[in-house]
Amino acid sequence: MRAGLALEAHGLVKSFDGNPAVRGIDLAVPEGAIYGILGPNGAGKTTTLRMLLGIIEPDSGHRVLLGHERPLEAARIVGYLPEERGLYPAMSTREAIAFMGALRGLPLETGRKRAEILLRENGLGDYVDKPIKSLSKGMAQTIQLFGTIVHKPKLVVLDEPFSGLDAINQGRLEHLIRDEAAAGTTVIFSTHVIHHAERLCERIAIIAGGRIRFEGPVSEARDRLRPQVRLKTRNADGAWRGALPGDAAEAGGHWQFELPKAGIEPLLKALIDGGAGIEELSIERRGLHDAFVAIAGEAAAREMETGMAADLGEAA
Amino acid sequence: MMSVFEAAWVIARRDFVAQVYSRNFVLFLIAPILLFGFAVFVGSQTERVGNQPVVALVTDSATADALNIARTRLVAATSDTAFPEFRALNPAEDVRVQARALLADEEAAYSAVLSGTLERPVLTGPERVDEFTGRRVQLVVEEARRTAALEAARAQPRGGPIVRDVTQNAAGNLQMLRRLLARLGQTLIFTVTIMLATLSLSTLVEEKSNKIIEVLAAAVPLDSVFLGKLLAMLGISLVGLSVWSGIAGLAFTFAGLATDWVNLPDVSPAIGWPAWIALLLLYYAANFMVLASLFLGIGAQASNIREIQTISMPVVLLQLMVLLLAMNAIGGENETLAWAAYLVPFSSPLAMAAYGAQYEALWPHLLALAWQAFWVFVIIRLSARLFRATVLKSASGGSFLGFLRPWRRRTDAA
Repeated sequence: MRAGLALEAHGLVKSFDGNPAVRGIDLAVPEGAIYGILGPNGAGKTTTLRMLLGIIEPDSGHRVLLGHERPLEAARIVGYLPEERGLYPAMSTREAIAFMGALRGLPLETGRKRAEILLRENGLGDYVDKPIKSLSKGMAQTIQLFGTIVHKPKLVVLDEPFSGLDAINQGRLEHLIRDEAAAGTTVIFSTHVIHHAERLCERIAIIAGGRIRFEGPVSEARDRLRPQVRLKTRNADGAWRGALPGDAAEAGGHWQFELPKAGIEPLLKALIDGGAGIEELSIERRGLHDAFVAIAGEAAAREMETGMAADLGEAA
Repeated sequence: MMSVFEAAWVIARRDFVAQVYSRNFVLFLIAPILLFGFAVFVGSQTERVGNQPVVALVTDSATADALNIARTRLVAATSDTAFPEFRALNPAEDVRVQARALLADEEAAYSAVLSGTLERPVLTGPERVDEFTGRRVQLVVEEARRTAALEAARAQPRGGPIVRDVTQNAAGNLQMLRRLLARLGQTLIFTVTIMLATLSLSTLVEEKSNKIIEVLAAAVPLDSVFLGKLLAMLGISLVGLSVWSGIAGLAFTFAGLATDWVNLPDVSPAIGWPAWIALLLLYYAANFMVLASLFLGIGAQASNIREIQTISMPVVLLQLMVLLLAMNAIGGENETLAWAAYLVPFSSPLAMAAYGAQYEALWPHLLALAWQAFWVFVIIRLSARLFRATVLKSASGGSFLGFLRPWRRRTDAA
């Protein structure tokens, strides 16, 4: 394993009943990073995370988790929030958090104390002795998240952590992820909602069809696309039109096109000389969504948008 | 990484506490006591109603008296239920017709009608009567004839009663009593196990339905999940056993039976009471672990309670087969079957509990317990691998002896 990496995977392959789910995944997650794994539903994100954590074994390939080739050997310093949340309904919130810590080697009494602190710090002090079955879905999810970090892991893996949370809890979770990263914990999370990754991650992997389509810093993903120019002119026609790039398109009185490779200055000069009468001109860096479309394809992006709409509807 | 045993302890503690502090646990403790109380009550009522056949005596009163006296004498030497009950009736003009009318009377419910005299008795009834009631009636008639003959001759039977020369033991008796003890021990272990081990079929359903299994599988080896659940259930069953034995002890004390119990030195098992009771406990634990690990493995494959219910019946039948096999070990008449009972892991604890009652050697028990523990390990390991492969859809559960990896590492480091 290379130094400075919390997790490294090479050539992970997994099929279920002959259907390939993951077709050869390579990952390298730096220590202390917030790392997003993006992809539409069914892209292979959960299967990848399960293989990384040793819940399932890959058909081929190997992974190294915090220096351990057998992921369970690193269990004490890893936290995992699965996509399908699971808690014992009759347990109190404190006991549930402490139990999850105990599974990772944290003494039960220490777990109970830390659970109380976590609950009180997050405004849930009144729920310390309440059974899980009496909580709302979002609150139970928060409890499970506390159980994931109660033993102070070095690596936290969250599978679709924002799914099912309302806007307030999503904000709280983002805050918590930043806090963990600030404390030196590596956070890996999967999501099909791009804006979470855009706000939180330093590096991302885009998965589609069981393959990594991009792996690297978010800025690098964005830089794959040239910035977008938006232009509004006083004059609808004139010699300046000949200076516009071939991909320029007009919509709602604005022209939009990619920033020419030669830069904005030659274009600006041509527009002024051609008598365009520039009213507005902006150069916008492309968002991660556009980068995702360019990398994973339109179909994958549509699936992501469908998933995002469902999540936003749920949050509303 | 926590060792399998550390992780199993975490799982076991959670399961044990969750079970013991649930309201259902009170029901779990009370139900067998209620069942036992009900069985005792029904049993006592059944005995009171009487189950032996009733024979109508349609004879003159002197013959009826002679028959009743003879019956009373035979009953005193055996038991009240060993001979049919006699009910004397006045003979009608046509005894043959009367006998048929009596046998047709559903309310009186006679099994047979005895008419005639001691010299020429006639037993009327269905053919089956000859095989069951007939032989006993014949004995009563012969006893009555013998008494009548002695009275007629004004004679006494020659010789006195048997003089008793008391010894400590008799090999035949001891063997018989120890076999009885062996059977009792087996039945006890079997009954408690059948009540409790079957519960393990549904133990993993909660984890699967609540999706907790993934949290567990990501944190600890699956073997420790299985082992922890088994240990928790064993602990719960031992709590149950302690409560039930305590209540039984109190009941015996109040019923004045405790003194009788203490006065049973002649039926001590071959290895002595303390060692045998300790072995019964150990073999109960072994029997529970072997069977419950199998049931847990089977139950883990089921995805809901309905599937569990479907597989419950074959599982109970399997337990009965195991008991039958283990019973063959008692006495050891069929040596091959006895060895099979000792060696088959599912019948081994029952067969060896019986062995302890009959034979003095202790070392076979050490071997047997080690053998049974080995099979618990094998079954848990296989169940976990199967669970990983079929339920978690993982290609492999790691090497078979991966169970020992943390231990090996510590040894290497040392």
